[in-house]
Amino acid sequence: MKKNKTMKSTKINGFLWILPAFVFVVGIIYYSIFYTFNLSTLDWNGLDPIQTSVGVSNYAKAFGDHIFWKAITNTVVYFIITFIVQNSLGFIFAAILHTEVKLPTVHKCLVFIPTIIAPATMAPVFRLLFSPQGMLQDIFDALHLGITVNWLANPKTALFILMMIAIWEFTGMSFILYYAAMSQIDKEMIEAARLDGAGNFRTLWNIVLPNCKGTTISLAMLGVIGALKTFDIPYLITTGGPNHATEFLGTYIYRQGIRQSHLGYAAALSVMLLILAICGALLTNRANKGDE
Amino acid sequence: MFEIRSTKNKVILQIVLLLLTIPYAIPLIQMVLGSLGGTGLANYKAVWDTGVVPTYFRNSMIISAGVIILVYIFSMTAGFGFAKLHILGKEVFFWMILVALTLPEVIMLTPLFVTFQRLHLFNTFFAVILPLAALQLPFMILLARNFDSSIPNELMEAARIDGASVTKMFWYVILPLTKPIASSIVVLTLINSWNSYLMPLLFLQSPEMQTVTLLPQYFQGEFTNDQTKILAAAVLTAIPEIIIYLLMQKNFEKGMSAGALK
Repeated sequence: MKKNKTMKSTKINGFLWILPAFVFVVGIIYYSIFYTFNLSTLDWNGLDPIQTSVGVSNYAKAFGDHIFWKAITNTVVYFIITFIVQNSLGFIFAAILHTEVKLPTVHKCLVFIPTIIAPATMAPVFRLLFSPQGMLQDIFDALHLGITVNWLANPKTALFILMMIAIWEFTGMSFILYYAAMSQIDKEMIEAARLDGAGNFRTLWNIVLPNCKGTTISLAMLGVIGALKTFDIPYLITTGGPNHATEFLGTYIYRQGIRQSHLGYAAALSVMLLILAICGALLTNRANKGDE
Repeated sequence: MFEIRSTKNKVILQIVLLLLTIPYAIPLIQMVLGSLGGTGLANYKAVWDTGVVPTYFRNSMIISAGVIILVYIFSMTAGFGFAKLHILGKEVFFWMILVALTLPEVIMLTPLFVTFQRLHLFNTFFAVILPLAALQLPFMILLARNFDSSIPNELMEAARIDGASVTKMFWYVILPLTKPIASSIVVLTLINSWNSYLMPLLFLQSPEMQTVTLLPQYFQGEFTNDQTKILAAAVLTAIPEIIIYLLMQKNFEKGMSAGALK
Protein backbone atom coordinates (compact mmCIF):
# COMPACT_ATOMS: atom_id res chain seq x y z
CA MET A 1 0.00 0.00 0.00
CA LYS A 2 2.71 2.39 1.04
CA LYS A 3 4.79 1.72 -2.07
CA ASN A 4 1.78 2.34 -4.27
CA LYS A 5 1.28 5.72 -2.65
CA THR A 6 4.85 6.91 -3.33
CA MET A 7 4.63 5.70 -6.91
CA LYS A 8 1.52 7.77 -7.38
CA SER A 9 3.09 10.89 -5.95
CA THR A 10 6.21 10.56 -8.11
CA LYS A 11 3.97 10.18 -11.14
CA ILE A 12 2.50 13.61 -10.56
CA ASN A 13 5.81 15.22 -9.62
CA GLY A 14 7.68 13.61 -12.50
CA PHE A 15 5.73 15.52 -15.09
CA LEU A 16 6.22 18.79 -13.27
CA TRP A 17 10.01 18.28 -13.36
CA ILE A 18 10.18 18.17 -17.15
CA LEU A 19 7.37 20.65 -17.73
CA PRO A 20 9.38 23.92 -17.60
CA ALA A 21 12.01 22.73 -20.08
CA PHE A 22 9.38 21.16 -22.30
CA VAL A 23 7.20 24.25 -22.43
CA PHE A 24 10.24 26.44 -23.09
CA VAL A 25 11.69 24.35 -25.91
CA VAL A 26 8.37 23.53 -27.55
CA GLY A 27 7.12 27.08 -27.07
CA ILE A 28 10.00 28.71 -28.91
CA ILE A 29 11.23 26.04 -31.31
CA TYR A 30 7.98 24.42 -32.40
CA TYR A 31 6.37 27.82 -32.65
CA SER A 32 9.14 28.83 -35.08
CA ILE A 33 8.74 25.64 -37.08
CA PHE A 34 4.97 26.01 -37.48
CA TYR A 35 5.30 29.70 -38.27
CA THR A 36 7.90 28.90 -40.95
CA PHE A 37 5.74 26.13 -42.35
CA ASN A 38 2.81 28.51 -42.69
CA LEU A 39 5.04 31.20 -44.21
CA SER A 40 6.36 28.75 -46.80
CA THR A 41 2.97 28.65 -48.53
CA LEU A 42 2.86 32.45 -48.92
CA ASP A 43 4.33 35.08 -51.16
CA TRP A 44 5.16 37.86 -48.71
CA ASN A 45 7.90 40.49 -48.33
CA GLY A 46 7.40 41.00 -44.58
CA LEU A 47 5.99 44.54 -44.80
CA ASP A 48 3.08 44.35 -47.22
CA PRO A 49 -0.25 43.88 -45.42
CA ILE A 50 -1.28 41.55 -48.26
CA GLN A 51 -0.01 37.97 -48.02
CA THR A 52 -0.76 35.94 -51.12
CA SER A 53 -1.20 32.20 -50.68
CA VAL A 54 0.74 30.29 -53.31
CA GLY A 55 0.39 26.69 -52.12
CA VAL A 56 3.43 24.55 -52.78
CA SER A 57 4.88 26.69 -55.56
CA ASN A 58 7.74 27.92 -53.30
CA TYR A 59 8.81 24.30 -52.92
CA ALA A 60 8.50 23.65 -56.65
CA LYS A 61 10.63 26.74 -57.29
CA ALA A 62 13.45 25.36 -55.11
CA PHE A 63 13.73 22.17 -57.14
CA GLY A 64 14.38 24.21 -60.28
CA ASP A 65 16.79 26.60 -58.54
CA HIS A 66 20.37 25.76 -59.47
CA ILE A 67 21.75 27.76 -56.50
CA PHE A 68 19.71 25.54 -54.15
CA TRP A 69 21.34 22.46 -55.73
CA LYS A 70 24.75 24.14 -55.57
CA ALA A 71 24.20 24.68 -51.82
CA ILE A 72 23.23 21.01 -51.38
CA THR A 73 26.31 19.81 -53.31
CA ASN A 74 28.55 22.10 -51.27
CA THR A 75 27.03 20.77 -48.03
CA VAL A 76 27.63 17.13 -49.04
CA VAL A 77 31.24 17.76 -50.13
CA TYR A 78 31.84 19.83 -46.99
CA PHE A 79 30.44 17.11 -44.71
CA ILE A 80 32.40 14.23 -46.26
CA ILE A 81 35.76 15.99 -46.28
CA THR A 82 35.53 17.76 -42.92
CA PHE A 83 34.17 14.61 -41.24
CA ILE A 84 37.05 12.43 -42.43
CA VAL A 85 39.90 14.91 -41.92
CA GLN A 86 38.72 16.48 -38.68
CA ASN A 87 37.98 13.18 -36.94
CA SER A 88 41.16 11.49 -38.16
CA LEU A 89 43.16 14.40 -36.80
CA GLY A 90 41.20 14.42 -33.53
CA PHE A 91 41.74 10.69 -33.17
CA ILE A 92 45.49 10.94 -33.86
CA PHE A 93 45.92 13.84 -31.43
CA ALA A 94 44.03 11.90 -28.75
CA ALA A 95 46.17 8.79 -29.29
CA ILE A 96 49.44 10.75 -29.20
CA LEU A 97 48.43 12.73 -26.12
CA HIS A 98 47.54 9.48 -24.33
CA THR A 99 51.20 8.52 -24.80
CA GLU A 100 53.94 10.05 -22.72
CA VAL A 101 55.02 13.16 -24.63
CA LYS A 102 56.55 16.48 -23.64
CA LEU A 103 54.31 19.52 -23.03
CA PRO A 104 50.95 17.73 -23.39
CA THR A 105 48.94 20.67 -22.02
CA VAL A 106 50.41 23.13 -24.53
CA HIS A 107 49.43 20.89 -27.46
CA LYS A 108 46.00 20.17 -25.98
CA CYS A 109 45.29 23.88 -25.57
CA LEU A 110 46.50 24.79 -29.07
CA VAL A 111 44.14 22.24 -30.59
CA PHE A 112 41.20 23.19 -28.40
CA ILE A 113 41.50 27.00 -28.38
CA PRO A 114 40.19 27.31 -31.99
CA THR A 115 36.96 25.65 -30.81
CA ILE A 116 36.29 28.31 -28.19
CA ILE A 117 37.07 31.44 -30.24
CA ALA A 118 34.05 32.78 -32.12
CA PRO A 119 34.12 32.37 -35.92
CA ALA A 120 33.05 36.03 -35.98
CA THR A 121 36.25 36.98 -34.15
CA MET A 122 38.45 34.87 -36.42
CA ALA A 123 36.84 35.89 -39.73
CA PRO A 124 39.00 39.02 -40.30
CA VAL A 125 42.09 36.98 -39.42
CA PHE A 126 41.30 34.34 -42.04
CA ARG A 127 40.47 36.93 -44.67
CA LEU A 128 43.94 38.39 -44.09
CA LEU A 129 45.75 35.05 -43.81
CA PHE A 130 44.43 33.84 -47.17
CA SER A 131 45.01 37.14 -48.97
CA PRO A 132 48.18 38.37 -50.75
CA GLN A 133 48.83 40.64 -47.71
CA GLY A 134 48.87 37.73 -45.26
CA MET A 135 51.48 35.65 -43.50
CA LEU A 136 51.24 32.67 -45.89
CA GLN A 137 52.19 34.94 -48.80
CA ASP A 138 55.20 36.18 -46.83
CA ILE A 139 56.30 32.59 -46.18
CA PHE A 140 55.86 31.60 -49.84
CA ASP A 141 57.75 34.71 -50.96
CA ALA A 142 60.61 33.98 -48.58
CA LEU A 143 60.86 30.46 -50.06
CA HIS A 144 60.62 31.89 -53.62
CA LEU A 145 57.77 29.53 -54.49
CA GLY A 146 56.13 31.98 -56.88
CA ILE A 147 52.64 31.22 -55.55
CA THR A 148 50.08 34.00 -55.19
CA VAL A 149 47.69 33.50 -52.28
CA ASN A 150 44.23 34.59 -53.46
CA TRP A 151 42.38 31.35 -52.87
CA LEU A 152 39.28 32.91 -51.29
CA ALA A 153 38.62 34.94 -54.45
CA ASN A 154 38.91 31.89 -56.68
CA PRO A 155 35.65 29.90 -57.06
CA LYS A 156 37.69 26.70 -57.54
CA THR A 157 39.53 26.92 -54.21
CA ALA A 158 37.27 29.01 -51.93
CA LEU A 159 35.20 26.04 -50.67
CA PHE A 160 38.36 24.09 -49.97
CA ILE A 161 39.74 26.95 -47.85
CA LEU A 162 36.47 27.19 -45.89
CA MET A 163 36.68 23.46 -45.18
CA MET A 164 40.21 23.92 -43.87
CA ILE A 165 38.97 26.70 -41.59
CA ALA A 166 36.12 24.50 -40.33
CA ILE A 167 38.56 21.66 -39.65
CA TRP A 168 40.82 24.10 -37.80
CA GLU A 169 37.89 25.17 -35.68
CA PHE A 170 36.30 21.81 -34.83
CA THR A 171 39.21 19.36 -34.47
CA GLY A 172 39.27 20.32 -30.77
CA MET A 173 35.79 18.86 -30.30
CA SER A 174 36.70 15.55 -31.99
CA PHE A 175 39.93 15.46 -30.03
CA ILE A 176 38.36 15.98 -26.62
CA LEU A 177 35.64 13.36 -27.22
CA TYR A 178 38.11 10.75 -28.51
CA TYR A 179 40.48 11.61 -25.68
CA ALA A 180 37.72 10.95 -23.14
CA ALA A 181 36.67 7.73 -24.90
CA MET A 182 40.24 6.40 -24.94
CA SER A 183 40.68 6.91 -21.22
CA GLN A 184 37.81 4.45 -20.68
CA ILE A 185 39.30 1.63 -22.77
CA ASP A 186 40.34 -1.37 -20.73
CA LYS A 187 44.14 -1.32 -20.47
CA GLU A 188 44.32 -5.11 -20.26
CA MET A 189 42.74 -5.47 -23.69
CA ILE A 190 45.52 -3.36 -25.19
CA GLU A 191 48.15 -5.30 -23.25
CA ALA A 192 46.75 -8.57 -24.55
CA ALA A 193 46.92 -7.35 -28.14
CA ARG A 194 50.53 -6.29 -27.59
CA LEU A 195 51.41 -9.71 -26.16
CA ASP A 196 49.92 -11.27 -29.30
CA GLY A 197 52.49 -9.28 -31.23
CA ALA A 198 50.32 -6.44 -32.55
CA GLY A 199 52.31 -3.27 -33.26
CA ASN A 200 51.25 0.29 -32.45
CA PHE A 201 49.32 0.88 -35.65
CA ARG A 202 47.56 -2.49 -35.60
CA THR A 203 46.54 -1.95 -31.98
CA LEU A 204 45.26 1.52 -32.84
CA TRP A 205 43.29 0.29 -35.84
CA ASN A 206 42.01 -3.05 -34.50
CA ILE A 207 41.48 -2.29 -30.80
CA VAL A 208 41.33 1.43 -30.08
CA LEU A 209 39.27 2.62 -33.07
CA PRO A 210 36.50 -0.02 -32.70
CA ASN A 211 36.29 0.80 -28.99
CA CYS A 212 35.67 4.46 -29.86
CA LYS A 213 32.81 3.57 -32.20
CA GLY A 214 30.17 5.27 -30.05
CA THR A 215 32.15 8.49 -30.20
CA THR A 216 32.61 8.24 -33.97
CA ILE A 217 28.86 7.83 -34.43
CA SER A 218 28.07 10.77 -32.13
CA LEU A 219 30.56 12.84 -34.13
CA ALA A 220 28.95 11.70 -37.39
CA MET A 221 25.55 12.85 -36.15
CA LEU A 222 26.90 16.18 -34.93
CA GLY A 223 28.76 16.48 -38.26
CA VAL A 224 25.67 15.92 -40.43
CA ILE A 225 23.60 18.41 -38.45
CA GLY A 226 26.54 20.82 -38.25
CA ALA A 227 27.16 20.70 -42.02
CA LEU A 228 23.50 21.45 -42.70
CA LYS A 229 23.55 24.31 -40.17
CA THR A 230 26.78 25.84 -41.56
CA PHE A 231 26.39 29.59 -41.59
CA ASP A 232 28.94 31.69 -39.69
CA ILE A 233 32.10 30.66 -41.55
CA PRO A 234 30.87 31.09 -45.17
CA TYR A 235 28.76 34.14 -44.34
CA LEU A 236 31.54 36.00 -42.55
CA ILE A 237 34.48 35.01 -44.74
CA THR A 238 33.13 34.80 -48.30
CA THR A 239 29.39 35.71 -47.95
CA GLY A 240 28.71 32.59 -50.02
CA GLY A 241 30.77 33.81 -52.98
CA PRO A 242 32.52 34.11 -55.29
CA ASN A 243 29.62 33.37 -57.62
CA HIS A 244 27.86 31.08 -55.06
CA ALA A 245 30.95 28.80 -54.91
CA THR A 246 30.64 28.66 -51.11
CA GLU A 247 26.85 28.93 -50.84
CA PHE A 248 25.27 26.79 -48.11
CA LEU A 249 21.60 26.36 -47.28
CA GLY A 250 21.97 28.68 -44.27
CA THR A 251 23.59 31.49 -46.23
CA TYR A 252 21.12 31.09 -49.10
CA ILE A 253 18.12 31.21 -46.75
CA TYR A 254 19.60 34.33 -45.18
CA ARG A 255 20.19 35.88 -48.60
CA GLN A 256 16.63 35.13 -49.77
CA GLY A 257 14.80 35.89 -46.53
CA ILE A 258 16.65 38.70 -44.79
CA ARG A 259 18.50 40.43 -47.64
CA GLN A 260 15.95 40.14 -50.45
CA SER A 261 12.74 39.81 -48.38
CA HIS A 262 11.50 36.73 -50.23
CA LEU A 263 10.12 35.42 -46.95
CA GLY A 264 7.93 32.70 -48.42
CA TYR A 265 10.71 31.23 -50.52
CA ALA A 266 13.21 31.43 -47.65
CA ALA A 267 10.68 29.64 -45.41
CA ALA A 268 10.21 26.84 -47.97
CA LEU A 269 14.00 26.42 -48.13
CA SER A 270 14.04 26.37 -44.30
CA VAL A 271 11.44 23.61 -44.13
CA MET A 272 13.47 21.53 -46.59
CA LEU A 273 16.61 22.17 -44.56
CA LEU A 274 14.86 21.01 -41.40
CA ILE A 275 13.59 17.84 -43.11
CA LEU A 276 17.12 17.10 -44.35
CA ALA A 277 18.54 17.63 -40.85
CA ILE A 278 15.98 15.28 -39.25
CA CYS A 279 16.58 12.63 -41.95
CA GLY A 280 20.35 12.95 -41.47
CA ALA A 281 20.03 12.51 -37.71
CA LEU A 282 17.69 9.51 -38.10
CA LEU A 283 20.00 7.84 -40.64
CA THR A 284 23.10 8.15 -38.44
CA ASN A 285 21.06 6.92 -35.49
CA ARG A 286 19.86 3.93 -37.52
CA ALA A 287 23.43 3.16 -38.65
CA ASN A 288 24.29 3.05 -34.96
CA LYS A 289 21.47 0.67 -34.01
CA GLY A 290 21.89 -1.53 -37.11
CA ASP A 291 25.51 -2.26 -36.30
CA GLU A 292 24.98 -3.33 -32.73
CA MET B 1 47.99 4.67 -26.61
CA PHE B 2 51.36 4.17 -28.26
CA GLU B 3 53.94 1.94 -26.68
CA ILE B 4 57.32 3.44 -27.35
CA ARG B 5 60.60 2.23 -25.93
CA SER B 6 63.48 3.60 -28.00
CA THR B 7 64.54 7.23 -27.61
CA LYS B 8 64.64 7.61 -31.37
CA ASN B 9 60.95 6.76 -31.70
CA LYS B 10 60.09 9.07 -28.80
CA VAL B 11 61.74 11.92 -30.65
CA ILE B 12 59.93 11.04 -33.87
CA LEU B 13 56.56 11.01 -32.11
CA GLN B 14 57.31 14.37 -30.52
CA ILE B 15 58.20 15.84 -33.93
CA VAL B 16 55.04 14.42 -35.53
CA LEU B 17 52.97 16.01 -32.75
CA LEU B 18 54.72 19.34 -33.27
CA LEU B 19 54.16 19.26 -37.05
CA LEU B 20 50.48 18.44 -36.55
CA THR B 21 50.02 21.26 -34.05
CA ILE B 22 51.73 24.02 -36.06
CA PRO B 23 48.79 24.56 -38.48
CA TYR B 24 46.56 25.17 -35.43
CA ALA B 25 48.89 27.90 -34.22
CA ILE B 26 49.29 29.71 -37.57
CA PRO B 27 45.97 31.64 -37.53
CA LEU B 28 46.59 32.64 -33.91
CA ILE B 29 50.07 33.88 -34.80
CA GLN B 30 48.63 35.76 -37.78
CA MET B 31 46.08 37.38 -35.47
CA VAL B 32 48.69 38.63 -33.01
CA LEU B 33 51.27 39.66 -35.66
CA GLY B 34 48.60 41.38 -37.73
CA SER B 35 47.36 43.33 -34.73
CA LEU B 36 50.88 44.67 -34.14
CA GLY B 37 51.38 45.81 -37.75
CA GLY B 38 51.61 49.49 -38.70
CA THR B 39 51.55 51.48 -35.47
CA GLY B 40 52.24 48.47 -33.22
CA LEU B 41 50.77 48.55 -29.70
CA ALA B 42 49.12 51.89 -30.48
CA ASN B 43 46.53 49.83 -32.38
CA TYR B 44 45.33 48.44 -29.07
CA LYS B 45 45.20 51.91 -27.56
CA ALA B 46 43.16 53.19 -30.53
CA VAL B 47 40.71 50.31 -30.14
CA TRP B 48 40.43 50.81 -26.38
CA ASP B 49 40.04 54.61 -26.74
CA THR B 50 36.86 54.21 -28.77
CA GLY B 51 35.34 53.26 -25.41
CA VAL B 52 32.98 50.66 -26.87
CA VAL B 53 34.91 47.51 -25.92
CA PRO B 54 33.74 47.37 -22.27
CA THR B 55 30.12 47.96 -23.33
CA TYR B 56 30.18 45.08 -25.83
CA PHE B 57 31.80 42.85 -23.23
CA ARG B 58 29.21 43.75 -20.61
CA ASN B 59 26.41 42.93 -23.05
CA SER B 60 27.93 39.55 -23.93
CA MET B 61 28.29 38.79 -20.22
CA ILE B 62 24.66 39.66 -19.47
CA ILE B 63 23.44 37.51 -22.36
CA SER B 64 25.69 34.54 -21.50
CA ALA B 65 24.71 34.71 -17.83
CA GLY B 66 21.01 34.76 -18.75
CA VAL B 67 21.37 31.80 -21.10
CA ILE B 68 23.44 29.82 -18.59
CA ILE B 69 20.90 30.33 -15.78
CA LEU B 70 17.99 29.18 -17.96
CA VAL B 71 19.88 26.23 -19.45
CA TYR B 72 21.25 25.13 -16.07
CA ILE B 73 17.91 25.13 -14.26
CA PHE B 74 15.92 23.54 -17.08
CA SER B 75 18.51 20.90 -18.02
CA MET B 76 19.06 19.84 -14.40
CA THR B 77 15.37 19.47 -13.58
CA ALA B 78 14.44 17.87 -16.91
CA GLY B 79 17.50 15.57 -16.90
CA PHE B 80 16.42 14.32 -13.45
CA GLY B 81 12.81 13.89 -14.55
CA PHE B 82 13.69 12.01 -17.73
CA ALA B 83 16.26 9.76 -16.04
CA LYS B 84 14.66 8.92 -12.71
CA LEU B 85 10.95 9.72 -12.46
CA HIS B 86 7.82 8.02 -13.76
CA ILE B 87 6.16 10.11 -16.43
CA LEU B 88 3.35 9.01 -18.70
CA GLY B 89 4.52 9.19 -22.33
CA LYS B 90 8.07 10.05 -21.28
CA GLU B 91 9.65 8.80 -24.53
CA VAL B 92 7.33 10.96 -26.63
CA PHE B 93 8.26 14.11 -24.70
CA PHE B 94 11.94 13.22 -24.88
CA TRP B 95 11.85 12.69 -28.64
CA MET B 96 9.99 15.95 -29.14
CA ILE B 97 12.84 17.72 -27.38
CA LEU B 98 15.50 15.76 -29.29
CA VAL B 99 14.03 16.68 -32.68
CA ALA B 100 14.69 20.30 -31.73
CA LEU B 101 18.39 19.38 -31.66
CA THR B 102 18.39 19.38 -35.45
CA LEU B 103 16.90 22.87 -35.83
CA PRO B 104 19.20 25.27 -37.69
CA GLU B 105 18.98 28.71 -36.09
CA VAL B 106 18.51 30.45 -39.44
CA ILE B 107 14.98 28.97 -39.51
CA MET B 108 14.04 30.89 -36.38
CA LEU B 109 15.01 34.30 -37.72
CA THR B 110 11.83 35.36 -39.51
CA PRO B 111 9.32 33.93 -37.00
CA LEU B 112 11.13 35.46 -34.06
CA PHE B 113 11.79 38.76 -35.85
CA VAL B 114 8.08 39.27 -36.51
CA THR B 115 6.98 37.97 -33.09
CA PHE B 116 9.50 39.96 -31.06
CA GLN B 117 8.47 43.15 -32.79
CA ARG B 118 4.84 42.45 -31.97
CA LEU B 119 5.68 41.71 -28.30
CA HIS B 120 8.02 44.74 -28.02
CA LEU B 121 10.91 42.40 -27.17
CA PHE B 122 12.89 43.51 -30.21
CA ASN B 123 16.23 45.15 -29.30
CA THR B 124 16.11 43.78 -25.73
CA PHE B 125 18.46 41.15 -24.28
CA PHE B 126 15.49 38.77 -23.95
CA ALA B 127 15.26 38.61 -27.76
CA VAL B 128 18.68 36.93 -27.79
CA ILE B 129 18.64 35.06 -24.45
CA LEU B 130 15.35 33.18 -25.03
CA PRO B 131 16.11 31.66 -28.47
CA LEU B 132 19.73 30.91 -27.57
CA ALA B 133 18.65 29.03 -24.45
CA ALA B 134 15.98 27.14 -26.40
CA LEU B 135 18.54 26.11 -29.03
CA GLN B 136 21.04 24.88 -26.43
CA LEU B 137 18.61 23.05 -24.17
CA PRO B 138 17.94 19.86 -26.19
CA PHE B 139 21.61 18.85 -26.24
CA MET B 140 22.18 19.80 -22.60
CA ILE B 141 19.08 17.87 -21.48
CA LEU B 142 20.48 14.86 -23.36
CA LEU B 143 23.82 15.19 -21.52
CA ALA B 144 22.13 15.63 -18.13
CA ARG B 145 19.74 12.72 -18.65
CA ASN B 146 22.56 10.38 -19.68
CA PHE B 147 24.58 11.36 -16.64
CA ASP B 148 21.65 11.09 -14.22
CA SER B 149 20.78 7.61 -15.55
CA SER B 150 24.12 6.32 -14.26
CA ILE B 151 23.33 7.38 -10.67
CA PRO B 152 22.35 4.21 -8.76
CA ASN B 153 18.67 3.96 -7.82
CA GLU B 154 19.69 2.61 -4.40
CA LEU B 155 20.88 6.08 -3.40
CA MET B 156 17.48 7.50 -4.16
CA GLU B 157 15.69 4.61 -2.45
CA ALA B 158 17.76 5.24 0.66
CA ALA B 159 16.81 8.89 0.64
CA ARG B 160 13.16 7.98 0.12
CA ILE B 161 13.19 5.57 3.09
CA ASP B 162 14.62 8.39 5.18
CA GLY B 163 11.46 10.28 4.27
CA ALA B 164 12.93 12.69 1.73
CA SER B 165 10.55 14.27 -0.76
CA VAL B 166 11.39 14.31 -4.47
CA THR B 167 12.52 17.93 -4.15
CA LYS B 168 14.83 17.06 -1.27
CA MET B 169 16.19 14.09 -3.20
CA PHE B 170 16.97 16.36 -6.13
CA TRP B 171 18.59 18.95 -3.90
CA TYR B 172 20.65 16.69 -1.61
CA VAL B 173 21.34 13.63 -3.81
CA ILE B 174 21.16 14.57 -7.47
CA LEU B 175 22.61 18.09 -7.56
CA PRO B 176 25.82 17.28 -5.64
CA LEU B 177 26.42 14.16 -7.75
CA THR B 178 25.86 15.91 -11.09
CA LYS B 179 28.56 18.54 -10.60
CA PRO B 180 30.88 17.14 -13.33
CA ILE B 181 28.23 17.21 -16.04
CA ALA B 182 26.86 20.51 -14.74
CA SER B 183 30.26 22.15 -15.23
CA SER B 184 30.45 20.79 -18.79
CA ILE B 185 26.98 22.14 -19.47
CA VAL B 186 27.97 25.56 -18.12
CA VAL B 187 31.19 25.71 -20.17
CA LEU B 188 29.54 24.53 -23.41
CA THR B 189 26.65 26.95 -22.94
CA LEU B 190 29.08 29.76 -22.21
CA ILE B 191 31.11 29.08 -25.38
CA ASN B 192 28.01 28.84 -27.55
CA SER B 193 26.25 31.92 -26.22
CA TRP B 194 29.40 34.05 -26.06
CA ASN B 195 30.21 33.11 -29.69
CA SER B 196 26.69 33.53 -31.07
CA TYR B 197 26.60 35.89 -33.99
CA LEU B 198 23.35 35.67 -35.93
CA MET B 199 20.84 36.38 -33.14
CA PRO B 200 22.65 39.48 -31.79
CA LEU B 201 23.21 40.70 -35.37
CA LEU B 202 19.49 40.69 -36.12
CA PHE B 203 17.76 41.24 -32.80
CA LEU B 204 20.01 43.88 -31.21
CA GLN B 205 20.00 46.95 -33.40
CA SER B 206 21.29 49.75 -31.19
CA PRO B 207 25.09 49.90 -30.71
CA GLU B 208 24.91 50.08 -26.90
CA MET B 209 23.15 46.68 -26.88
CA GLN B 210 25.52 44.74 -29.15
CA THR B 211 27.86 41.87 -28.32
CA VAL B 212 31.59 41.07 -28.75
CA THR B 213 30.99 39.00 -31.88
CA LEU B 214 29.81 42.19 -33.60
CA LEU B 215 32.98 44.13 -32.64
CA PRO B 216 34.94 43.31 -35.84
CA GLN B 217 32.09 44.74 -37.90
CA TYR B 218 31.89 47.83 -35.73
CA PHE B 219 35.60 48.46 -36.23
CA GLN B 220 35.35 47.82 -39.94
CA GLY B 221 32.96 50.78 -39.97
CA GLU B 222 35.08 52.82 -37.58
CA PHE B 223 38.56 52.28 -39.06
CA THR B 224 37.43 51.48 -42.64
CA ASN B 225 40.23 49.36 -43.98
CA ASP B 226 42.79 49.53 -41.19
CA GLN B 227 43.14 45.74 -40.73
CA THR B 228 45.61 46.11 -37.86
CA LYS B 229 43.05 47.70 -35.55
CA ILE B 230 40.36 45.21 -36.51
CA LEU B 231 42.77 42.42 -35.54
CA ALA B 232 43.69 44.19 -32.30
CA ALA B 233 39.97 44.13 -31.49
CA ALA B 234 39.88 40.42 -32.35
CA VAL B 235 42.75 39.72 -29.93
CA LEU B 236 41.02 41.68 -27.16
CA THR B 237 37.86 39.63 -27.74
CA ALA B 238 39.65 36.29 -27.74
CA ILE B 239 41.77 36.78 -24.59
CA PRO B 240 38.98 36.48 -21.97
CA GLU B 241 37.64 33.35 -23.67
CA ILE B 242 41.05 31.73 -23.61
CA ILE B 243 41.56 32.63 -19.94
CA ILE B 244 38.17 31.18 -18.94
CA TYR B 245 38.93 28.00 -20.88
CA LEU B 246 42.34 27.59 -19.24
CA LEU B 247 40.79 28.06 -15.79
CA MET B 248 38.04 25.50 -16.39
CA GLN B 249 40.00 23.07 -18.56
CA LYS B 250 40.25 20.27 -15.95
CA ASN B 251 36.54 20.39 -15.00
CA PHE B 252 35.54 20.48 -18.60
CA GLU B 253 37.49 17.37 -19.57
CA LYS B 254 36.16 15.48 -16.57
CA GLY B 255 32.58 16.35 -17.47
CA MET B 256 33.02 15.42 -21.11
CA SER B 257 34.32 11.97 -20.27
CA ALA B 258 31.57 11.48 -17.71
CA GLY B 259 28.55 12.60 -19.66
CA ALA B 260 29.06 12.87 -23.37
CA LEU B 261 29.89 9.29 -24.08
CA LYS B 262 26.97 7.22 -22.96
